[in-house]
Formats: sequence, C-alpha cells, structure tokens
Amino acid sequence: MPKKYDTPLLNELEKGPWPSFVTEIKKAAAWNKMAADELGQLEKSYRTRLVYWKHGGIVGVRGYGGGIIGRYSELPDEFPEVAHFHTVRINQPTGWFYSTDALRMTCDIWDKYGSGLTNMHGSTGDMVLLGTRTESLEPIFAEFSSRGWDLGGSGSAMRTPSACIGQARCEWANIDSLDICNEMTQEFQDEMHRPAFPYKFKIKVSGCACDCVAAIARADCSIIGTWKGDIKIDQDAVKWYAKNGTDIQNWIVDMCPTKCMSYDGKELKIDNKNCNRCMHCISKMTKALKAGDEKGATICIGSKAPIVVGSLLSWVIVPFIKVEPPYDNLRALIRKMIEWWDEYAKPRERIGELIESKGMRSFLEYIGVPPVPQQIKEPRKDPFWFFHGDDIENIKKLEAEEKKTGKYKF
Amino acid sequence: MEVEEIKKKIFEVLEKAKGKKKLKEKDVCRIVSEETGVDKEEVKRILRSIIDEGKLCYSYSGGASSVEIPSEEYLKEKGML
Repeated sequence: MPKKYDTPLLNELEKGPWPSFVTEIKKAAAWNKMAADELGQLEKSYRTRLVYWKHGGIVGVRGYGGGIIGRYSELPDEFPEVAHFHTVRINQPTGWFYSTDALRMTCDIWDKYGSGLTNMHGSTGDMVLLGTRTESLEPIFAEFSSRGWDLGGSGSAMRTPSACIGQARCEWANIDSLDICNEMTQEFQDEMHRPAFPYKFKIKVSGCACDCVAAIARADCSIIGTWKGDIKIDQDAVKWYAKNGTDIQNWIVDMCPTKCMSYDGKELKIDNKNCNRCMHCISKMTKALKAGDEKGATICIGSKAPIVVGSLLSWVIVPFIKVEPPYDNLRALIRKMIEWWDEYAKPRERIGELIESKGMRSFLEYIGVPPVPQQIKEPRKDPFWFFHGDDIENIKKLEAEEKKTGKYKF
Repeated sequence: MEVEEIKKKIFEVLEKAKGKKKLKEKDVCRIVSEETGVDKEEVKRILRSIIDEGKLCYSYSGGASSVEIPSEEYLKEKGML
C-alpha cells in the first residue's frame, strides 16, 4: 500500500472551482507509491520552502541521448519511491491527433512502469510522462517503440518539431503544417536522438499568422503560413456579417494593425500592399474574407524563452517561400542555419543570441539568403542593417527573375 | 589506425576530462581526430558505435548534453552489469 502523508498545505490548493494538480496527484497516490512519495516530498517543500529535486546526469536508453530527463530526490531515505523520478518524453503525433486507443495504451504503460502522472503536453510539444526509475527505462522504451512510437528530443539537440492542427481541422491554414512537421521530424532524426548541437534547436510550424503553436515566440526556426496577392472579399458575406451583429468598423477595421482597411457601411476595402497578413480580419470574418491564392510560408529565426539570457521573438529572414513536398528547399535552408550556428555558437547559446552577437549579415551570407527589405525585426519597422550596393543589385535581379518566371523566390 | 585503437583513444580522452570538463560529442571527435589524424566523421561513427553498445552514454545537465563514461552504479541500475 502506498504511504499516506498528511498534506495540510497542499490541501489549500484544492480549494476553489478549478481543477487542482494536488487532487490529481492524490488520485494517483491512492494506488501508486511513487505518486504518494511525490506528494509527501512536495508537502515538505511547501513547509520548508526548499526544493528537493536534482536533475540531469547520465540517464537514458541505449544509443539515445535525448528523450529522458533524469530526476532524483535529494531525500531518498525519506521518500524512497521518488529516489529516481525520471521524465520520459514521447514524440507526439503531429498536430496532437490521438486515437483514444493510443491514449489508453500510453496510460497502461505508464501505470505499469511510472507514477501514473503525465503532462499533456510539454511546452515543446512532446507527451511528457512524469516519474519512473532507471531500471524501467529500457522496458518503457521497448513498449513504446514496439508500437511505433519514439522518444522526443531533449538536451543540446533538435527538439521534437511541432505543428498546429493545420489543414486537418482548420480553414485558415495556408500551408500543410502537419506534413511539413512530419517531414522535418523524419529529416532530423539523428539530430534529435544524438545531441551534438551547442544547445537546443526548435522548429515549429503554424498554418497561418494566428500562430496557434506560438512559433514566433518559442521556435528557433518558425515556419508560418502566409500568402502573396490580394485578400479575396465576398461583399455579400460582409453585408451578412454587418446584418448579424458584427461591428465591422470597431472590431475589424479599427483593429487592423496597419490600418489598411476601410468600411463605408456598405463596402469593405483593403489596401493590400499595406497588409501585413496578420490574419485578424480573416479570422473574424471567415465567410467574407479569404487569403490570396499564392500560398507559402514566412521563415523566421531566433525566438526563445528567457532561460540563460532574456527572451527573444523571431525575426523574418525569408518573407515568402514556396513550401511544397518534398520540401528540399526548406530542409537545405534549415541545415545551413544549423551549420552556421554549430560552427560559431558557444555552449548553451541559442541561434537568436548568436545572430545578435555575430550579426544578421554574417548569418544571411552563410545561409545564402539575400538581404531584402522585408527582413525586419518587428512589423512596420525599418530593416535592421545598411544595404550595400551589391545587395540592391541582388534584390533587383531577384525581382526581375520573379517577374520573368512568375515564380516567387523570396 | 585500427578501430580498437581509436576506441581506446576515445576512452582515454573522456577519462582525462572526467571531473574537469564535460565534453560534447563534437569535442571528443575533434580532440581524437587532432591527436590521431583520423577523419572526424570516422571518429564520430566509432564513438556512436560505443554509445550504442552502452559503454559510453550521453549525459545531460542544465539543458546541455555531453558524452561520459557511465559509472558502475548506473550500469547496475540499468541491468547492464
């Protein structure tokens, strides 16, 4: 039987209308010894205001450097069941689509080998299984891999790429975010499982600028669906929205970040050359407004959370790129980015930080992307470097080529 | 140079760094390649084969990964000793 702990401080966190993590741990603790000791140690932490976890070390499955994060209790004599409390990251299916059978299978394995506690999902996107012992790691991996599942990324590696639900369930998706994410996951298998980078590298794919996976804030390489050309307007549908209570002036036109829209009570007009494709109007009036037909992606670089040094948002480096199977252009571009970063970065330096210290010009020259005026740090701001005469010539050549071939390059 | 000799060199490099510096896969390949003249890619291939055998392990600390010789205690926990 699991040990029962008195938890007056944790009990406070069960009060109120919201779901409580304490209640969930208690449910698991009723039958699982690890969950019971986890509860006991946590109560002690609340009492003493000290944390008793150590993390890291040599913990993993054979041949893999990622997917398992070692965690140990500093009080193994007092809480022996959480002496080891390792985390297992399972590579989520793209877009987080699970059958109920898959979830049952996952839970059964975790009830058998782990604490019965999970995170759905970790912030990188993986399915996170919380708390198991070192000797259970190989059996857990065997159970999952024999069913076609794999570990996700951790440490100085390519982290598990993630994507929004894309065209599988969303009318706004400009690109097949699911397919791109899946292809990138297959492409970078070695980099995910054998950590050899200076630090982590994340790829996230959003179908549109609504950016449901927050790629612009969390991914070293953000791939965000967009379009070229004019937004298509169905004026009858605009009238329908107005008639059915949509305050077009206040909710749509006045909220446009570039003020490129106007509405006279009858007709909605968009000055498309000033539109920055933010998706606000399209997401508010889906029946009336549709993205242009020429679909592709904007590639941004360098966002990260505040760990080590401050947080960064992604910068545009490729304003528009066609992304179609087999995505060779995307694979080559990302490989070049990683190559540059791997060559120059200090340990635990993210690519965005390296660009800040070494300069965007050095980065762009290495990856072979020409400087263009759209490469800005924030919308409606000037580009952040001085153009050389050669750059201007290159832009002109590029524009001429696009005009001649009718194909958008960048 | 024979594969066994390269393997021995890899262990020597890691043994020497133990407790002083955490070496990444890339560092091990560079050092061994410089000291033996063997191509870095070849060293990487051999290093990974040792990792696959379980005689070396990736280690993780504060988000950064390195390669280490596993302790006996760890190998016992894993049922490999």
